[in-house]
Amino acid sequence: MTEPSEASAVAEPPDPGDPPATPPPPTGPRSVTTRATLAGVAVSALLIVAIVLGSRMLRNFDSALLPYAVATVFLAFGVAYRYTVWISAPGARRLFKQGWRSLFSMENFRRAPTALPRMIATYLGFQKFLGARSHARWAAHQLIFWGCILAALITFPLTWGWFTFTSGTGSGPGYEMRIWGFKILGFDSLNLLGWLMFHGLDIAAVLVIPGASYFLWRRMKDRGAATGQRFAYDLVPLIALIVISVTGLLLTFSSVFLHGGGYQFLAILHMVSVVFTLIYIPFGKFFHIVQRPAAVGMQLFKYTGRKDDEVFACRRCEEPIDTGPYVENLRGTMRDLRLDFDSWAEYCPRCKRVLRGSAYLSHVKKGFK
Amino acid sequence: MMGRTIFIDPGRCIGCQACVSACRECDSHRGKSMIHLDYTDEGRSVASLPTVCMHCEDPVAPCAEVCPADAILVTADGVVQQADTTRCIGCSNCVNACPFGVPKIDLQAKLQMKCNLCYDRTAYGLAPMCATVCPTGALFYGTVEELQAERPGVQVADTFVFGETEVRTGVAMVVPAERVQWPVPGGLPVVEINGKDVRR
Amino acid sequence: MTADPRAAADRRTFIPLDPSLAPPGTRAFRDAGGIPADQWHADQNGETLVPTHCCFCGVQCGMYLRVDRGGKVFGVEPRNHDINRMRLCPKGINAYQQVNHPDRLTAPLMRRSRDEEFREVSWEEALDFTVSEVKRIQQTYGNDAFGLLGGASLFSEKTYLVGKFARVALKSRHVDYNGRLCMVSAAGANKLAFGIDRAGNPFSDILLTDCLLIAGSNVGECFPVMTQYVWGARDRGATLIVVDPRETAIARTADIHVALKPGTDSAFFTSVLNVVIEEGLTDETFLADHATGWEELKAKAAEYPPSRAAAICGIPAEQIVQVARAFARAPKAMAWHARGIEHHSQGVENCLSVINLCTATGHIGKPGAGYGTITGQGNGQGGREHGQKSDLLPGGRSIMNEEHRRQICEIWGIEESELPPAGTSMMEMVWQMQRREIRGLIGICNNPFVSLPNYRVVKEGYDTTEFHAQFDFFLSETAANAHVVFPVTTWAEDEGVMANAEARVVKHNKAQDPPPGVRTDTWVICELARRLGAGDKFDFPDSRSVFDELRVASAGTVNDYYGITYERLEETGGIAWPCPTTDHPGTPRLFEDGKTYHPDGRIHLQVVEWHPPMDPYDDEHPMSLTTGRTVAHFLSGNQTRRLGALVEQTPRPWAEIHPSHGFRNGEPVRVVTRRGSEVFPALVTEAIRPDTVFVPYHWPVPTAANALTIDALDPRSKIPEYKVCACRIEHAERIDEVPAPPVAPGHVAYPETQVSRTDPLPPTAPQGRGTSERS
Repeated sequence: MTEPSEASAVAEPPDPGDPPATPPPPTGPRSVTTRATLAGVAVSALLIVAIVLGSRMLRNFDSALLPYAVATVFLAFGVAYRYTVWISAPGARRLFKQGWRSLFSMENFRRAPTALPRMIATYLGFQKFLGARSHARWAAHQLIFWGCILAALITFPLTWGWFTFTSGTGSGPGYEMRIWGFKILGFDSLNLLGWLMFHGLDIAAVLVIPGASYFLWRRMKDRGAATGQRFAYDLVPLIALIVISVTGLLLTFSSVFLHGGGYQFLAILHMVSVVFTLIYIPFGKFFHIVQRPAAVGMQLFKYTGRKDDEVFACRRCEEPIDTGPYVENLRGTMRDLRLDFDSWAEYCPRCKRVLRGSAYLSHVKKGFK
Repeated sequence: MMGRTIFIDPGRCIGCQACVSACRECDSHRGKSMIHLDYTDEGRSVASLPTVCMHCEDPVAPCAEVCPADAILVTADGVVQQADTTRCIGCSNCVNACPFGVPKIDLQAKLQMKCNLCYDRTAYGLAPMCATVCPTGALFYGTVEELQAERPGVQVADTFVFGETEVRTGVAMVVPAERVQWPVPGGLPVVEINGKDVRR
Repeated sequence: MTADPRAAADRRTFIPLDPSLAPPGTRAFRDAGGIPADQWHADQNGETLVPTHCCFCGVQCGMYLRVDRGGKVFGVEPRNHDINRMRLCPKGINAYQQVNHPDRLTAPLMRRSRDEEFREVSWEEALDFTVSEVKRIQQTYGNDAFGLLGGASLFSEKTYLVGKFARVALKSRHVDYNGRLCMVSAAGANKLAFGIDRAGNPFSDILLTDCLLIAGSNVGECFPVMTQYVWGARDRGATLIVVDPRETAIARTADIHVALKPGTDSAFFTSVLNVVIEEGLTDETFLADHATGWEELKAKAAEYPPSRAAAICGIPAEQIVQVARAFARAPKAMAWHARGIEHHSQGVENCLSVINLCTATGHIGKPGAGYGTITGQGNGQGGREHGQKSDLLPGGRSIMNEEHRRQICEIWGIEESELPPAGTSMMEMVWQMQRREIRGLIGICNNPFVSLPNYRVVKEGYDTTEFHAQFDFFLSETAANAHVVFPVTTWAEDEGVMANAEARVVKHNKAQDPPPGVRTDTWVICELARRLGAGDKFDFPDSRSVFDELRVASAGTVNDYYGITYERLEETGGIAWPCPTTDHPGTPRLFEDGKTYHPDGRIHLQVVEWHPPMDPYDDEHPMSLTTGRTVAHFLSGNQTRRLGALVEQTPRPWAEIHPSHGFRNGEPVRVVTRRGSEVFPALVTEAIRPDTVFVPYHWPVPTAANALTIDALDPRSKIPEYKVCACRIEHAERIDEVPAPPVAPGHVAYPETQVSRTDPLPPTAPQGRGTSERS
């Protein structure tokens, strides 16, 4: 019980970089849009350059995959644009900065070198926090997550012409895999490794389908999930994932069992759904893929604060609220937003309510009159 | 200004916590109660205050503004939703910025949760669970006219003052007729802490 | 992942990878309570709503139980029944969690002696053993050596069966029920004054009144949903007068709060009558036309001037005058009271003093003017009407009345000589058990180890019995001390009727089948009767067949149910008795023609003389201990102490004391009476009289208020004096811990519901812990 009050004494604002007196930087809609557009253009251009260089001046580029490659360029633009807009809002900007500051603090790195990798593994990789929400949702999300990671690792380099699979004999079974033209490994398409290499996307589909189906089923059934759900935001991503995976699997099915029957149609359907999904990423639910890593920054920021024992206690009840730097950061955010009751952040929510309640009792009314 | 919303009258509240139990029965967050019930006059009287989300209108939802992940959405009808599960990173900004002390956070799940005006019920024209069961009408759901038909002579106020700042909310408080022009005190500036005068 | 910074004492050396902090009250959802949280996701479809009523208090709020496709109750939905208009209290909202609760008993428990552990046995074995013990005891010591104790939370059908089983199958005079601990004082007073035992007006009349007097009832906590009527009256300008030693939630904002000393109610009300007479505010026409005994009463009231009553009650004399004027001058005034004035060795007198006041001012039998008692148990009203009371037969008939005996014997098909005489009251039966006059006992739907006063005596009485069987759906503290425990149904697993505080008969519907191994009380009683050789008198396959006999058995009496059928109840949402014919609309308001149910049709005013409480004050015991309920728990707590949300709201009892005694909030305080002493955390508040200590009674020893209370009875109603006894308070070292609720062998009380039980602190306020105190 003594800790918090002790800690509050040392909670000096450690953030001289953002003195409250300076007005917030100009973040009007015009300037944000311009900056975001510039960022988008820059990132897209970089990607195009990378594609050109990576495919050895387009020599390795598979023109059949052109629509996919174009979609990724749009994706890059969208993500960069949205990211810039997002990071320009005061709440995100301040936490973003603090996260990087914590990361690049040398002292911090010396004291806890393993913290960041461990956070990334538990938080972004294994998503322990989802398990706390529901074990079934965690399992389903892990399936989708690893499925998509696998698929992205295979398809993005392929469409950009970064990967090539070539066979000296024309049609196998001996293949060699090259990245940016450099040979990485050779394999026999008939052994296990070869089978895995050629069916990576099928495996990804097999992972994604049950995961996405579970979420879709849950959204149909569970009243909690269904509350306030929107078709475009909540259902479309799941449907898209399922369509991509199913058509992808059917492509394999068609080539293995139907001698290519219906292949053309399926290929187009698959391509349309993938292109749509890629372009959709920055604007819908999938944007969390881009956003989520920011949580690690937030966590690291709080971790640093805790490490320095800077726990901020409520001014009234002396129960801990959060770390001192965090409270100072939040107050800065509130001032940026012209929420001028930022000193209120020094009280815990319960004390805010109790103080408001007693103010009502003494200044408005006690009972009926 | 106000359509169907919740009206809070702490003067009628008997502190029974039916709202707290009822909130847990709401299908959109079964098993988790979002409402707060505080005994605001501890040691002196049994006075109590229920707190649901006030659904701030001006400034629009400080919780959503401070959110670094754009996780808190405000619907067209002014309902401030609880955090989107895919976006919320559990940073607690909303918890500590909310002037009314409303949002809760599940630290393990890294997820903020708060009153969403029982969106699963209000969207179908039903009253929220808390206001449906409240044995005293301390939480009332409806229009001002419906409220005044049941309780002749009452007025409501939807503006709170925190220090210099005024916050206008979607959920309103019941006030005596002569107080309707003034904003309801929000508790800031703090004048007294645990019996000690802290005005300097 | 620790969320609690205090838990990490060595924080300097170890910071969890997830370093998040959050202020109290924002970070946990412990109020969820755990049951059945894991399966709590509601489906979009396949759900049915079963209309029924709450199992708890006498308000009998309507509710829907949500039943899933598997036929299991999984939730509750508000119901727009005109008693409660969708409102529910925390107990009512959580009531459904009892139905599929892991602590439920699902097999009969049995042991041959109290030294043994319980073991689960077949129904056959448990029933056979019980019947052989009944026969052995009755053959050795006579029929009256075996007793039966019923309960007022049973459906009326089952209470009827309890009475009939005692008289016809056991052939014992010793039958009584736990309503004896509830509102029998009001029942006695009502019978004396009006010749009918029920509240005079429906709740809806409260909305029409101009002055509402509530005496000894913490409406906000014990009948929360009734508060809407109280507030509704005030919205329309009514004056509210609350008589209570504590400043309860309704007293807090009342126009007049009379914080009198416990045990002085009749002095106060007689003094109010004195002022009414002195100021000429009586309704002489009404008195002349409708009352007897007015002159005697007037003479007695003259002995209670405000100055004298003020000294007795410890209140300002002006307050008495204020109350008298407000009540008597109001065009329509109403008085409601509850256990606060009934739980006294002068409980009947206290109620009579209120009736006298209402009668003298003419506030009887009009819309918005009248008098009533608020029954505490769900079937507090219905449970006392149909023969489980020691001196009553079905239809409120007296077992002492030759004519009544003959009528019932005819209906039951027994010889009049076979019908036993009147028995004794519940507390007296315990004393008889102590004296070995009663050697065997079956208890149905009660938990005297928590609910009877002076626990030491109760325990001794029960321990002395040679055989004790108990019916319950959770193992109560009493059942845990028995030889045989029969696992029976909850209210949602059977159908039946209850009568609420307005004497409105409402129908409870069956929402799900009982769990395997569980039988209805009706089945068990009939099965025992069959094995005792009275099977032909107990051929009841279900509640409906019992109700049909009950209707016939009550026909023509004051408590006439003949016109009430299940079908009519379902159509109307409830009918107030008397209802003599199937086209009769029922009688929500009594005495509208000024006629009472006495042969002369008049109100018999009774002279009341105040006397001090039975437990004398002295230097060792200068203060008053009063007991009562808190909003999150119900009676002996056997049900509510197992429901997570309610345990979270109020995990433990406390001693409520005034700051003038120098205790800090949360400090251990020992409450000492002549019966014993216990240590509670102090809840220090200005909302209680300095000379009074309050302890809520829902918990078992060693935290039982009833280990301290006195087993003194009202000579007429035999109600124990729970509401006042002499005590003192002392500083103590450590508080007594709340034990876990008992469970069947091999089980533990569902842990998720018990998380906060050992919290050493008192609740924030008498209504419970604020929501921020839960994480």
